[in-house]
Amino acid sequence: MLLIYLVIAPILVGVLLYFFHFKKATRILAILAQIGIFIGSIFLFIEARELTELYPIGRAFGMEGVTYNIGGFYYGMGIILVSDVLSAVFIMLTAFMFLLAIFYSFNENNTSLYWFLLFLWQGVLMGVFLSGDFFNIFVLLEVGTLVVTILILFSRKNRSLYDGLIYFMVNVVSMQFYLLGVGYIYRYTGTLNIYYANAQFANTGREYLMLPYALIMTFIVLKSALVPLYSWLPKAHGTKGAPSAVSALLSGLHIKSSVYLFLRFQYTFEIVALTEFFMVLGIITAIFGFVMALGQKDLKLILAYHTISQIGLIFTGLNMGITYSYMGALYHMMNHALFKSTLFLSGGIIAYAYGTRNVYEIRGVLKKMPVVGVATMLAVFGITGTPIFNGSISKYFISSETYGLMNWILIFMSLGTIVSFIKFSTILFGEPKKEIGEKKVDILQQIPIIVLGSLCFLGGIFGRQFIDILFNVQLTIDPAGYFEKSLIFFASLVVGYLLFKYYVKDSKLIKTAGAMELGFRSIIMAIGLFFATILLFVGFS
Amino acid sequence: MPANIIEISAILMFIISFYGLISTKNIIKSIIFIVLMEVSVVMFWLSFGFSLGQLPPILSSIGGMEYIDVVGIENIADPFPQALMITAIIIGLSITAVNTIMFITLYRKYNTIDWDVAKERSLTE
Repeated sequence: MLLIYLVIAPILVGVLLYFFHFKKATRILAILAQIGIFIGSIFLFIEARELTELYPIGRAFGMEGVTYNIGGFYYGMGIILVSDVLSAVFIMLTAFMFLLAIFYSFNENNTSLYWFLLFLWQGVLMGVFLSGDFFNIFVLLEVGTLVVTILILFSRKNRSLYDGLIYFMVNVVSMQFYLLGVGYIYRYTGTLNIYYANAQFANTGREYLMLPYALIMTFIVLKSALVPLYSWLPKAHGTKGAPSAVSALLSGLHIKSSVYLFLRFQYTFEIVALTEFFMVLGIITAIFGFVMALGQKDLKLILAYHTISQIGLIFTGLNMGITYSYMGALYHMMNHALFKSTLFLSGGIIAYAYGTRNVYEIRGVLKKMPVVGVATMLAVFGITGTPIFNGSISKYFISSETYGLMNWILIFMSLGTIVSFIKFSTILFGEPKKEIGEKKVDILQQIPIIVLGSLCFLGGIFGRQFIDILFNVQLTIDPAGYFEKSLIFFASLVVGYLLFKYYVKDSKLIKTAGAMELGFRSIIMAIGLFFATILLFVGFS
Repeated sequence: MPANIIEISAILMFIISFYGLISTKNIIKSIIFIVLMEVSVVMFWLSFGFSLGQLPPILSSIGGMEYIDVVGIENIADPFPQALMITAIIIGLSITAVNTIMFITLYRKYNTIDWDVAKERSLTE
């Protein structure tokens, strides 16, 4: 029963908030309701963790975990909500992130529409993480796209309109690919259940599965913004009009839903699933992402492009076929949610206080706003993988069993992250250039940033224990190996600083790469080309 | 599983609308091609739920006998795709509405129906 409440409760709370005029009392009720949802998600997690465990890798448990059959139809026919330990972790993350987002926007946004959409969005994400049904996922993601579009356009500023239109239309086109793929699945197996379809595929010929797999993976790749279908992401995540809390949730959480679906669908299509292909795609995406991020000077856009790079790293880790890398990538997804949302939230406060989002104009954040500055610094330490911070643990696990070329590629990716965050962290130091007005930083906005920032630190010290608690998998950290990675980090820090100082700062090439932007038609063309490529790879593998 | 004529035409329509999305610069036409794409997917789904001569699964019994026993299970259409596609059609309708509203606002702001011009004007703003 808990499962259905987790989906419906946020939506009901949202509707209530919309209809009752929004005063402080109702806002406090909203926070209480959100705390209730969070506690519910913890209960679900405890139950799911006992029933399932996440080993061996790549196996989806689903039906062994907590299930709820809506309507009571028999197995494989009705809509079903399922939760194993993997989805329970994401449910917990969703509830936690939305709690912080609500704290952050407590005094910022008073419109009832905003709060309604925020809670509706949460319900949709919960549904995506819990659903075990192909068509249900389609409906939920369609609603999710709509909600996100309205939130992006929320303040109707500058470019937001064009960005919103592109985001919406591109996503709608990709949804049609997905629906067509699901149609093939239903036709060949007679079921829409993700786990049941996997069993049915054994009787279906391999050649029948290629087309649906290619269609569905095109959709997944677009949703998780891998190269070449990344182009809508910076528009959506970095747009000027969106409230900071929305950007933080988009980059921290929303994008994870498609990576989660990737894991599920890879299991469903075991017979035809490609792994090396997605690993290479992840590497290309990671490198592409930070090169583009280096070319930006807008605070929010740097972070948005960097999300692409991090998703690339996560895809690389997930598809290497090594247990340690897989767990490292899963842990990195959690970590990325923490530090990227810290950066977006504190970036919002900084941009508001300074009245600009140009990183070259903002100086001396540490001096002006010590709390925000320290939280930002913790998050930067996390994302660059500084030893004893959370990013270092997940990056250590991803690269701990790789050798030769792969190891060098991972070091290169890490170097790219370091260079772009050296650029980002210049805002922290120095003297404030111009006198900024006395804009008081809301104390309620500082709470989530402090919580997230300190979690970045705790996630590093207790990294192994966190993985044990969350995923029920015991990993060991080899002190010598970890020390070696730390040395590599400091070496790349030096190299990164030199690179930043003498090459990146005024490189024409990087500036042109950063300014590169695809229009609507080019994005659609990229979808078509990518679909053809993946079909070829599935056909010949 | 042999393909039937409706299915083939649905796939053809999907490809045509995809080509349309690539080739047109006009935002209104893009919106129309998206509608066309949705219709083609709906058509594809319906193509395997029903074949000519099948009866709808509405009645549960005829004259005291089970409906399935009277007409035979192979003569009853599969209601599942139709039920799902009603949902998809409604979603498609709302998508078109949102697309159109956003386009109208864009048009009032940038005074263009061209993708490239809209991009340029939004960049220079």
